[in-house]
Amino acid sequence: MTLAKDPFNVIIGGVGGQGNVLASQILGQMLVTRGYVITIGETYGASQRGGAVMSHLRLSEKDQFSPLIPEGRCDLLVSLEPVEALRILDPYGHPGVMTVINTRPIFPMDVISGNATYPEISKVITKIQALSKKTWTINATEIALDMGDPIFSNMAMLGALCATKTLPIDRQGFEETIRELLPAHKLSENLKAFDKGFESVKEL
Amino acid sequence: MNRGLKGLESKVLDQGQCAACGACLSLCPYLRSWKGRTVKLHDCDLSEGRCFSFCPRTEVDLDALHRSLFGKGYEDIETGPMRRVVMARALAQEFKKNAQNGGVVSALIDLALEDGVIQAAILTERDAELLPQGRIVKSREEVLSCSGSSYVTGYTLEALNRGPWQDEERIGVVGLPCQVLALARMKASALEKRTPIDRVDLVVGLFCTWALDYRPFTGFLKERFGDKPIQKLDITPPPERLLNVTVGNEFHQIPLDEIRAFIRPSCQVCLDMTSELSDISVGTVEGEEGWNTVIVRTARGEDLLRRAESKGVLETRGYPDDKWAHLKEASILKKQRGLNALNDVQEKYVTLPQRVIDAIMKEVAP
Amino acid sequence: MGNEAIARGALEAGVKVCAAYPGNPSSEIIGSLSSAADALDLHVEWSVNEKVAMEVVAAASFAGLRGLCSMKQNGLNVAADFLLNLNLSGTQAGLVVVVADDPGGISSTNEEDSRIFAKIGDLPLLEPATFQEAKDMTRWAFSLSEDLGLPVMIRSVTRVSHARGNVRLDALPRPATKARFDISRPRLAFPPFPNHKALHQKLERAKSIIERSPYNFYRGPEKPELLLMTSGSGWMYSLEAVMNLGVQDRVGLLKLSATWPLPDTLVLKHLKQAEAILFVEEVDPFLENNVKELFAQHCMDLGLKRFYGKASGTIPSAGEISPEIVSSALQSLLKVSDTKRPEQYAKRAREAAAELVPARALGFCAGCPHRATYWAIKKALTLDGREGFVLGDIGCYGLGMGPSGFFQMKTIHAMGSGAGLAAGFGQLERFGLSQPVLAVCGDSTFYHAAMPALVNARYNGSNFVLLLLDNSATAMTGFQPHPGTGRTATGKEAPVLDLKVICEALGAKVEVTDPFDLAAATDAMLKFLQDKEGVKVLILRRECALVRSKKQKKLYRVEVNQERCLGEMCGCNRLCTRVFKCPGLYWDRATGKAGIDEAICTGCGVCAEICPASAIRKEVA
Repeated sequence: MTLAKDPFNVIIGGVGGQGNVLASQILGQMLVTRGYVITIGETYGASQRGGAVMSHLRLSEKDQFSPLIPEGRCDLLVSLEPVEALRILDPYGHPGVMTVINTRPIFPMDVISGNATYPEISKVITKIQALSKKTWTINATEIALDMGDPIFSNMAMLGALCATKTLPIDRQGFEETIRELLPAHKLSENLKAFDKGFESVKEL
Repeated sequence: MNRGLKGLESKVLDQGQCAACGACLSLCPYLRSWKGRTVKLHDCDLSEGRCFSFCPRTEVDLDALHRSLFGKGYEDIETGPMRRVVMARALAQEFKKNAQNGGVVSALIDLALEDGVIQAAILTERDAELLPQGRIVKSREEVLSCSGSSYVTGYTLEALNRGPWQDEERIGVVGLPCQVLALARMKASALEKRTPIDRVDLVVGLFCTWALDYRPFTGFLKERFGDKPIQKLDITPPPERLLNVTVGNEFHQIPLDEIRAFIRPSCQVCLDMTSELSDISVGTVEGEEGWNTVIVRTARGEDLLRRAESKGVLETRGYPDDKWAHLKEASILKKQRGLNALNDVQEKYVTLPQRVIDAIMKEVAP
Repeated sequence: MGNEAIARGALEAGVKVCAAYPGNPSSEIIGSLSSAADALDLHVEWSVNEKVAMEVVAAASFAGLRGLCSMKQNGLNVAADFLLNLNLSGTQAGLVVVVADDPGGISSTNEEDSRIFAKIGDLPLLEPATFQEAKDMTRWAFSLSEDLGLPVMIRSVTRVSHARGNVRLDALPRPATKARFDISRPRLAFPPFPNHKALHQKLERAKSIIERSPYNFYRGPEKPELLLMTSGSGWMYSLEAVMNLGVQDRVGLLKLSATWPLPDTLVLKHLKQAEAILFVEEVDPFLENNVKELFAQHCMDLGLKRFYGKASGTIPSAGEISPEIVSSALQSLLKVSDTKRPEQYAKRAREAAAELVPARALGFCAGCPHRATYWAIKKALTLDGREGFVLGDIGCYGLGMGPSGFFQMKTIHAMGSGAGLAAGFGQLERFGLSQPVLAVCGDSTFYHAAMPALVNARYNGSNFVLLLLDNSATAMTGFQPHPGTGRTATGKEAPVLDLKVICEALGAKVEVTDPFDLAAATDAMLKFLQDKEGVKVLILRRECALVRSKKQKKLYRVEVNQERCLGEMCGCNRLCTRVFKCPGLYWDRATGKAGIDEAICTGCGVCAEICPASAIRKEVA
């Protein structure tokens, strides 16, 4: 599959602690083994403690690009949290962006403490859709909770991403990559999460 | 206007008008007492709350309060509603030993407990540092351990809010006029009550002209007497005006004028010397050290006094006219002082019909 | 990852001894070296602080073994005294100092450009611009260091250190050097004057080597309309900005691999060809000023120029640079505009974000013991009522300055500064200070820098309470081990340097308590607050929530009894969600009750302790 654009720019966004770094690492590795030149830029550190985080992932068939995507140039947004998608689309979106959204909110401290309100999810999704060329949704957190641990949500998102066919990735590549990156006893449950994500994602 | 913690803060706590009655404490996690201070631990943004509703220094409509408790408005301007007044003293030695004067309060509470009129009472206990604290008592021993006065007030009603209370327990409370006022406010409050005020069947009020602020007063004592333990405090009756301090087994006397600086500011605006909202009030008798003045106000109060008389717990006598005149005078003078002081403060917490205020101010000493 | 590439470069150079103190964005360098330590027979350690780390590595160099130490910008400040003597004493085997700056202070208390230390210290400074360069230049730096007999400084930034990309690996050597310190050649910084002169000569040699480096290059027309000079992360942004704006024929890109010493000849050659020069670099105008100095020296031969950069405001002088910043600069200087997306779209996206997206403040994780500690601190100080205050330090608990820690922390500076300031405040009672003085510091911070402050306090008679937050981890930077954890960087067992024993040995009054036991912690604090004499240390010991959750799932199963929950009613007013604010709790507006967010709650059970209605129940999991 040749890329729609070169470089093709992907952002994986969410809240610190959701596992976006691992997700971007796996995705990056999957694409490297397919022969693409990859650059990933992360925001680490303090943002881990509940702040907004992003991984910028750039694919190219020929060149290495900067680890930060220039504004207005995100081609694919994978958001592990609903409002984070809007936060990211503000600087990075453009009319051709495709979006894959986890619909389960994570409330910021201000919302939990009653100083701010969290908007209605349906409203958020509608706005995201209005700003995207195509939108997919999935409740990845619910899948993960059903499996017993919220951390599986990022694997479910990768499965969902695979189903959208917006990137040159497949289940086999995922399996090979996690075999390298994760301990053996974790393989089957992560594959399960991937598969459930693959099945559950819906195009709007 | 905020009628919750914010209102309490701006109208009372920040103005230094807290009476340290304890009515607002342990209703919630936001207010606590600590070594004689009322402390707000966190901000509360409720527009109305029980702390404000119960406080004796916020929005007190005395006329309405009297009406709700006694069925008639604020009419008995001299010493409050009264069925009869007597001189009394306890007959049993143990009540007289540590007591202030006649030991009547301890004896009455003890009797009420013994006869099952109440199952528990809230009295005020003082620790070695003179820090007063409300205490739930159920036995004679416990009653006796709380007898005596230190002129320092503090937080008795917190014990009411805290409990714990067993299923059918009925309670009696002994309190100063500000505390008795707070109890009346609790009873009359329209806010949903999860406080045990409905268990309170007996309120014994104490006479009070003023009370001392714990921190400054104990600071003064520490400066004067170091760390030696304070064993007894009392005030010689007029015209002497001395504070008697027994400390480290030595007896000292300090002119009252020296300790007036430590009187709580909230006492300056108090209009109640005899705890007018109680069932029965107890105080000193001018010139008679071993006796108490007892003012009966309600049927419950009457019932208890009759019980005490008939069981030989108390000896009572008719109240001499001249002493009664002096008592009324002292009470009115306190009201006049309070009303005058209210003219100078920012927050006028109490409302009374103007004709009542006029009547009070017109009273002249005979 | 850039940091992994640096580590790989060091391995390819045959490094033998590596030391560091964790610091974002540098931590992964030693982190990844430690995983190779056993296989490749290296000594890799987490040192207690950066100065000691540098000394450890210098020893290796003196003994003929290549060494690498790494740190974040603040770490260089700590190590500076040693570095600025090491330059004079010189080094033997290659010694590379990697400093990873955090432009914008995304995970730092300050923003600082550490390149200036190279200039102060007369040391060669390399700035890798890509991951491949991160590896290759690190490898090269060791030879350069040996050639000159000087430490070589490599400056990285977050966007290079933490970014990932394809890197081509080269072979790993197996050096067989025997360690030996040649005592006939002592390593003395003293005497400074002749050594300083010698240092300058070394720098001149470095300059001629750097002039020939293949990592400097120029791309663009011979006489560009605008000469863009850049180093480090600026290179990739500039390259892409030029491409996106289509101005390749108007802009000349001069990429410098070393910004100290400046490769004079190369820079002058390109300066001659352009009248407008734009500098793109992170944080300070280091390159910009150095080039301007060079220009001033040769201005008679060069003619008039216009310089753009931080001084002209074309590039912001604080904060991180980005592709956007470089693009805007080019757009304004070349009068072109970027056609990335229609203005209408940008407006709609902006409005959607403004309308619907709440701010995300940083806070402690669910179940963090620091939240409980700050809760107890707040209560103790409020009850005490004498306007006591907490002097802060570096670590996760540094978030105590914000809402998550109830704004209890009133100062934050450098490692160990909390105890240091407390040693000062604790002397001021004689001048009328009537407020209780407290300091917080973490377990790792204690070993790093708080100990001397404690010694000072005891020796000089200062009076304060030190709250030592022992969560058995260097958590903020990624859970690296430290002298209290009983493990080394390579996973070997290590003696535990017991915090209580050390503090007692220093003569402090010491108590240990569990922050999850709020009543005990508050009481312990209140007790120490009343004690006017000397230094009191309260150790609040409870494992970091993230460390614990890797080992076991939850301490407790926690749930909110919906009938008992008072919610907004008088008597509670949402204490758990509105005031305590643990993210494991949420407020359901529809039902008017609090609830536990299963996806986030780690089962610490502290909320059950504070609920005034006893509505929160905890059951051992």
